[in-house]
Amino acid sequence: MNWKNVFFLMQVERKSGRLIRGKKATRYKENTILAYWPYWTAAIIGVVGGLIANYIASAVYSSAAISNLPSLSHETISVFVILPTIVLATSLVFTLFQQIQLSGIKASTQVMYWLPVTWQEHTLASIFANLLGLPIGIVLGFTSGIIIFSVFNGLILQALLTTLALFVAAFMASSITEILRVLQVRFVGAVYKSSGRAAIWVRFIGSLLFFIIFYILYFYVTSGVTSFLQNLTQVQSALWYLPLVWLALTISYIFQGLVLQGALFISLSALFIAGLYYLAVLLNKRFGLYEPPAITIQKSGIYTPKTGILGKIGFSSVEGAIIRKDLRSFTRRRELLGIYIAPIIMIIIPLMQSLGVTSGSAAGSANPVFIAIIFFLPASFMAMLLGETLIGEEGQAVWRIYASPVSPENLVKSKYFFLILFSTIILLVSGTIGTLFYRPSLQNTITIFLEAFFVVLALGSSSLTIGFKGADFSQTRRARMIRQEWSLIGLPVCALVGAAVLAPLVPYVIASFASSFIPGLTASTFNLVISVVISGVISLVITAVFYRINIEMAKELLRKAQV
Amino acid sequence: MYSQYAVELKDATKRYNEIVAVNKLNLTITTGEIFGLLGPNGSGKSTTLKMLLGLVQPTAGSVTVLGLDVQKQPVEVKRLVGYVPESPNIYEFLTGIEYLDFIADIYGVPTAEKKQRITEYLKALQLEGREGDMINSYSDGMKKKISLISAFLHKPKLLILDEPLNALDPRSARIVKEFLYELKTQGVTSIMSTHVLEIAQALCDRIGIMYQGQLLALGNMDELRQRASLPQSGLEDIFLRLTGTEDLRAVVEELMK
Repeated sequence: MNWKNVFFLMQVERKSGRLIRGKKATRYKENTILAYWPYWTAAIIGVVGGLIANYIASAVYSSAAISNLPSLSHETISVFVILPTIVLATSLVFTLFQQIQLSGIKASTQVMYWLPVTWQEHTLASIFANLLGLPIGIVLGFTSGIIIFSVFNGLILQALLTTLALFVAAFMASSITEILRVLQVRFVGAVYKSSGRAAIWVRFIGSLLFFIIFYILYFYVTSGVTSFLQNLTQVQSALWYLPLVWLALTISYIFQGLVLQGALFISLSALFIAGLYYLAVLLNKRFGLYEPPAITIQKSGIYTPKTGILGKIGFSSVEGAIIRKDLRSFTRRRELLGIYIAPIIMIIIPLMQSLGVTSGSAAGSANPVFIAIIFFLPASFMAMLLGETLIGEEGQAVWRIYASPVSPENLVKSKYFFLILFSTIILLVSGTIGTLFYRPSLQNTITIFLEAFFVVLALGSSSLTIGFKGADFSQTRRARMIRQEWSLIGLPVCALVGAAVLAPLVPYVIASFASSFIPGLTASTFNLVISVVISGVISLVITAVFYRINIEMAKELLRKAQV
Repeated sequence: MYSQYAVELKDATKRYNEIVAVNKLNLTITTGEIFGLLGPNGSGKSTTLKMLLGLVQPTAGSVTVLGLDVQKQPVEVKRLVGYVPESPNIYEFLTGIEYLDFIADIYGVPTAEKKQRITEYLKALQLEGREGDMINSYSDGMKKKISLISAFLHKPKLLILDEPLNALDPRSARIVKEFLYELKTQGVTSIMSTHVLEIAQALCDRIGIMYQGQLLALGNMDELRQRASLPQSGLEDIFLRLTGTEDLRAVVEELMK
């Protein structure tokens, strides 16, 4: 094992995620403090958390009223022993999510395949690179907290031992992620290799199912997370045969003075980690090499251009071309799947809640909140996400737009139509499901459909402005599409736009609710109609204003083209 | 309304912070000319070509293409120009045929012509049978062919070609060269940058040699020979003499140590 190689490879993987974005940079000088801000932040949060915990503990234990509490050290240690399992679980979830997003980036790091690097070194570097992401931040947060707390409470040895266990737990999680990543490469590669249009649908539906199952599990587990944490000590002991809890059991036994059991589980943990590493190496050797996809969409033969319906409904040749291109982009690019998945999840969650899958509530209950969620959220999110990403998704190929005779009006019209079309489809699907499931009155159904459509119109236009302003065309490691700060700015902007459109309905909604408590008070249909009309006018005004802004933004984008 | 010049650059300058990529470049290229732009790496060739299409905005000076101001009438200029970038970043999620379809629609090529032209080009550059594959499965040469077809498809008046023959197989390279000659007879202007000096010597009516953002020499082969004081010499010797890099023996000897 050449440790220098491991170090260099790990540095490449880590640094590749920190490349500056959005600007045509000529030089790059890394600011160490800024580059490692998640780590510093985690450590600071941990220290503050430790101090607060110590303050609370001191206050509670100095209180004369509570004299029958177990000792502080006993309580602290009972928390320490569950931390390795918590760190392992959270690190695993985060690194897995990260890897799902980054799958395929191995193509950009293929250089390592022709360098004199062994698979052992490559695998270890990859594991460390996983570790140096969020897991190390989580570990730093916990360790700084428990060390600070322990300094004040005389438990420094136990804290140091727990710290060591937390680092090992994060390493264990990163190793498991590496194994799952390679398996994913293998699976995706297999799907890629099968040619034909069906391969795309298999990939799309497969990924969708994966996310849906994952989210269902996630919500199922997190709905009972409090009781799970409370019982984690017992759960760990009961599940002693699972390697994932061996680290926690090791420190638990050592703290109890059971050295033999501690030694046994520390040996088992070491064996398990070694096993994970060798399995990862084995899988990397076998499947790690990324193979570029070779999907055939159309059989070769006589080429017949399609005229399509876009031209017939008033779109120019340029606009139609961009819309068709974006449609293909959004059905074929893996990194854009998230945009579809979010609305689907938003339809599933309220349905599951209503069916009592996660909460145990009565099935089919027509909770107004769930009705609002299923009607408004999926389509609104679709409009927001599409608007924010439709410009940046052009990626490095944006030169094609710059170099083509595309006017700002063409660009805005095609992008806006595309996002409204997709969001309206989502609205119709989610609204139909909501109507069938919750059976609101005809008047309410029409009102909600109209209002959701008004929200979509306004959100689409405003989020497209955010998309223009924050467009990120870099594709290093993965397509970014929008800069983080603009994505964050987009949330309150869209919330305000949505609130502005729905505001006229507030008096009617209040009157409707209040009418069941206050005799004689009624919410008239006339008021509702007026509210909906005002809402529609507000939506159109917002849409028009942002549409004009978008055209100015598009002019700026095309004028300042820097390829 | 076209001027006699296909391209006019007047004091065109491009700065990237403290780096001057192109420095007060004055250049005119006549309609129907095949013009070669040579220069060492980083001499400003690609930046110059990008300025012609508005892909890079000049920091100072003016750029006129086919009588149109690139900054004032960018869409009109683009409609008349075909561009092949050095590294074709093209929409990899489209198939070859879908990409060409997209390009033809963007330039408003009528449906019947679109079909005929795409079919002909695919056949000429031996992409038949692979046009239904997604571009991300193409080799660099195939991507280059798709880029070239997309530049020719709308019958542009001006072709801006950045290393157009890179990665092409000899047959396709020959076809492209012959095709550029044919286009010249129809009055199409071609501007290309290349590092393959034999191609520039064989293909170009005039050659401009750029160095450190400035035009070091300009003219046909005879004029360049005269400028470099190297009668009977080939372009390689002229290039190395003019760019001050002709004495390479010491470099090679140093490398051999």
